[in-house]
Amino acid sequence: MNDGLFNANRERDRRPIRFLVFGIVTILVFGLLTTRLAYLQINNGQQLAAQAEAQRTAEEAIPATRGLIYDRQGRLLVQNVATWAVKITPSELPFTERDDVAHRLASMLGVDPTEILTTLDSAPGSRFDPVRIAQDVPEDTARLVAESSDELPGVTVGVETRREYPDGPLLAHILGYTGPIDEGTYAKLRSRGYLADDLIGKTGVESTFESELRGTYGIQLVAKDATGKELQVLSNEQDAVPGASLTLTIDRTIQREATQALKWGMKAAGLKRGVFIVMNPQTGEVLALVSLPSYDNNLFARGISTKAFQKLLNNKNKPLTNHATQAHYPPGSTYKLVAGTGGLQDKKITAKTKLRTRGYLTLGGARFYDWNRRGFGACDLNCGFGHSSDTYFFQVAGMLGADRLAHWAHMYGFGKATGIDLPGEAAGIVPSNQWKIDALGQPMFGGEVYQAGIGQGYDVVTPIQLINAFSALANGGKLYRPQLVREVVGSDGKVISSFKPDLIRKMPVSQKTFREMRLAARSTVTLRHTYNLVDMPVKVAGKSGTAEFGKRDAKGRLPFHSWFVGFVPKNPYKADFSKPDSELVFLAFAYDSRTKGNAGTEIAKAFLQFHFHIKKDYLNRDLLRRGNFYQSN
Amino acid sequence: MRVMRAEPGRFADMTTRSVGRVGRAYDLQLTVYAALLAAVGLVMAYTNSIEAGTAVLEPGSIFQRALMWTGIGMVVFIVMTAFDYRWLKTLAWPIWFVNAGLLVLTLAIGSGVGGSARWVGIGPVQFQFSELAKILMIIVLATYLGNREGRLDSLASILGACLLMLPPWALVMLQPDLGTSLVLLSILAGMLFMSGARLRWLLAMALGVCLAIPVAWQFVLRDYQKERILSYLNPSVDTQGAGWQVHQAQLTVGSGGPLGVGLTNGAATRGGFLPVQESDFVFAVLAQELGFLGALVVFVLFMALLWRILSCAWRSRDPFGTLFGAGLASMILFQVFVNVGMVIGILPGTGIPLPFITHGGASLTSLAIGLGVIQSINLRQHRAEW
Repeated sequence: MNDGLFNANRERDRRPIRFLVFGIVTILVFGLLTTRLAYLQINNGQQLAAQAEAQRTAEEAIPATRGLIYDRQGRLLVQNVATWAVKITPSELPFTERDDVAHRLASMLGVDPTEILTTLDSAPGSRFDPVRIAQDVPEDTARLVAESSDELPGVTVGVETRREYPDGPLLAHILGYTGPIDEGTYAKLRSRGYLADDLIGKTGVESTFESELRGTYGIQLVAKDATGKELQVLSNEQDAVPGASLTLTIDRTIQREATQALKWGMKAAGLKRGVFIVMNPQTGEVLALVSLPSYDNNLFARGISTKAFQKLLNNKNKPLTNHATQAHYPPGSTYKLVAGTGGLQDKKITAKTKLRTRGYLTLGGARFYDWNRRGFGACDLNCGFGHSSDTYFFQVAGMLGADRLAHWAHMYGFGKATGIDLPGEAAGIVPSNQWKIDALGQPMFGGEVYQAGIGQGYDVVTPIQLINAFSALANGGKLYRPQLVREVVGSDGKVISSFKPDLIRKMPVSQKTFREMRLAARSTVTLRHTYNLVDMPVKVAGKSGTAEFGKRDAKGRLPFHSWFVGFVPKNPYKADFSKPDSELVFLAFAYDSRTKGNAGTEIAKAFLQFHFHIKKDYLNRDLLRRGNFYQSN
Repeated sequence: MRVMRAEPGRFADMTTRSVGRVGRAYDLQLTVYAALLAAVGLVMAYTNSIEAGTAVLEPGSIFQRALMWTGIGMVVFIVMTAFDYRWLKTLAWPIWFVNAGLLVLTLAIGSGVGGSARWVGIGPVQFQFSELAKILMIIVLATYLGNREGRLDSLASILGACLLMLPPWALVMLQPDLGTSLVLLSILAGMLFMSGARLRWLLAMALGVCLAIPVAWQFVLRDYQKERILSYLNPSVDTQGAGWQVHQAQLTVGSGGPLGVGLTNGAATRGGFLPVQESDFVFAVLAQELGFLGALVVFVLFMALLWRILSCAWRSRDPFGTLFGAGLASMILFQVFVNVGMVIGILPGTGIPLPFITHGGASLTSLAIGLGVIQSINLRQHRAEW
């Protein structure tokens, strides 16, 4: 009965060839799978196992504690503060979840998600290097992020130390700050153990002494899971060595005095920029270095916002620029030091030589005016330097010629960065025939040599160059490199390097010449060119300067900067300038002052009053009122 | 399709046959191979349970669930063995409609990852009806093609089979479940090939599918599916997106070496780097912990099982038996190939379970039904002797 149903009697069409083909396909499939499996497990097994192991464990740097910085009296100028930082490791953040994670994290941190994405995209390292998204995160925010780690793949929260500068703007231009390493620097320093999310000294001594301060990072082996979460530290491969600490030549007290004096003068005269520097001419140690306006370097150490940074950058008085070293200005009459020294040493004049000074000199049909339109009559060096007679120094410059003048300028260290321990130092310009041919295609004109002799025209100097030149005058011709660091002490307490004066050159100038120039500088004070400075109990020699710059106003007057550079003898209360024994030289620079009197001198006096605790007030506030007193320097 | 009739005469068979004959007809080897594969599946469930950090017998643990489904699978297998498979031919149409209904239900109330609809919760358990659809469609196609014996080389037979497959296939695609839809196509292709359909028609169809791929890419495939396929084509570039799993699976497999790292020892070296290890990537864990040797044993078991299924198909005097065996063998072979191929990085990831070893209730039930039917066919190839 079932034959018809089962087709049993019919020849069953079983298709043996198709069964065979099916069997062969089966064998081929398993053959293929087996071959590939053997390739993975037997051929490449060890390599793949190592790769699996490698993604599970990671060598991680143990950051070293950054070295501390003290002033010369041992006062702490910087601290390391533990803060929370949020980082993202791009390789552990699946691309599809990037936007989600950025949004979630942004709402926790209270920032814009696009900022996070931009930070991620512009990170210097590879996809495997963590990128710092936020630093100095409040603790409760850090906890919130850490606890949401399951929804935030690739995001880690960790402790890192940042720098805290208790004095902020007071020392910002000297100390500088640390900040996240940028792409170009990272590329260069990667081989020296820097991490893509490292903090590095960006400017100031934090930058110049980066390698000393940084220390040596350690290495630890850590186990990680797939989300990049650190599971445990497996081993310590190498301990971190804390960075060395610095003792600066800066004295915070003097820095405060200088700042206070400069701020007072700038406020009284309505100035926007100013510089005050104090040095020990016997060693080249910088005791104070003030550039105003300053900025709070803590803003950078905490991770400055783009907005705040733009504001600082766009400030036309350039608070981020150290005007003492990174900018150059015409020196004005202070530069007469060069012409005077050169004239004496090249025997064009003696200290006694009298030159006739008048209201102006005529050269090639052009008139070159003295600041005093009546002249001073027959004038020797003390008269010419003391009254700052322009026509006197036009003649000296003319006798020297452009190239000898330039030679003596170079001897004083102008036209070349001093090598102070700060980044971005400007070189200034010393005009010579060759310089002018290179720059402008023709040699110096006679009138230009006149201008060069009185620190106008092409001459530009940095304040640090100028004070360093006067230091050489004060110490008898030893041009030192200005230094900011007295001592580098390793974390083990061992002194790595201690202060040594760094002589740039012993100037080829006789002590007699220097003595005559110092006495001439003293006559600036005694001839009351600097008004009542001579009345102060502290005995000062120096030179004021009024340097024109920019464009003439409607009345044909030029805006000008005011300078004063001075020094006191070893015993500041005894007016003996014959010996090269001064231990204090100072410089005041008032940018665009346009005051009735020399603002630099008043600022210098204010400093001396603070520094020497002079109770009586010698300041001439009316000289600081605006009003174009000088027609020419 | 022909009219399907209940045939009361068949009930006599079992009762009139001697026990010895039944014993000889029963394919013990097939049962043993299947049981061994299921045992490997249980072992993998055990090791994954341990590595997931749950107590092995804790309610809801991977192992506990696997144990439950293995038990259910054994019952289903025995019931299907006892059940006269010839009834299935009678029930083919109702089966087709029930299958379509379940797939529609899945679309309506199912849940799944990323907006897909794959599982239907039945009480505490989740069931994937698309898994069941595979075996149900094998029954339907075996009935249809078996009834058309003698006319199997005609284009009409091929088109009829395709037409029967189209609605459930489309419903699966809508979930969307690319993996299962591909398995359904492989079943269709395997059964048509073994039925003796004209090669030229089959080749023409294959060509048609190839031409349809660009169209499908543009209009049918979802982004995540495209991503998976692209990541397969270049896995090392994007190790974080979809290629991540494929890359990690290879690392896992490779780190097993020839002899493996030992059961339950894999997690330490995987460290959570291979996501969804307990589902479609379980073979990676197997290859890592049991090594090349263990994987080879599993391959051999699969080949032996396929051999037994094909022998049944060959011996069957009933075209339904032959075609059913062909369909089941195609399904298992395709799933093993695609799943293992994905894990070891020669095929894109499509989310196809590894028969017996991936811990899925529906997959195991589906296989139990299939193997039970095969035994039922084995037992019922002898003419009544009276």
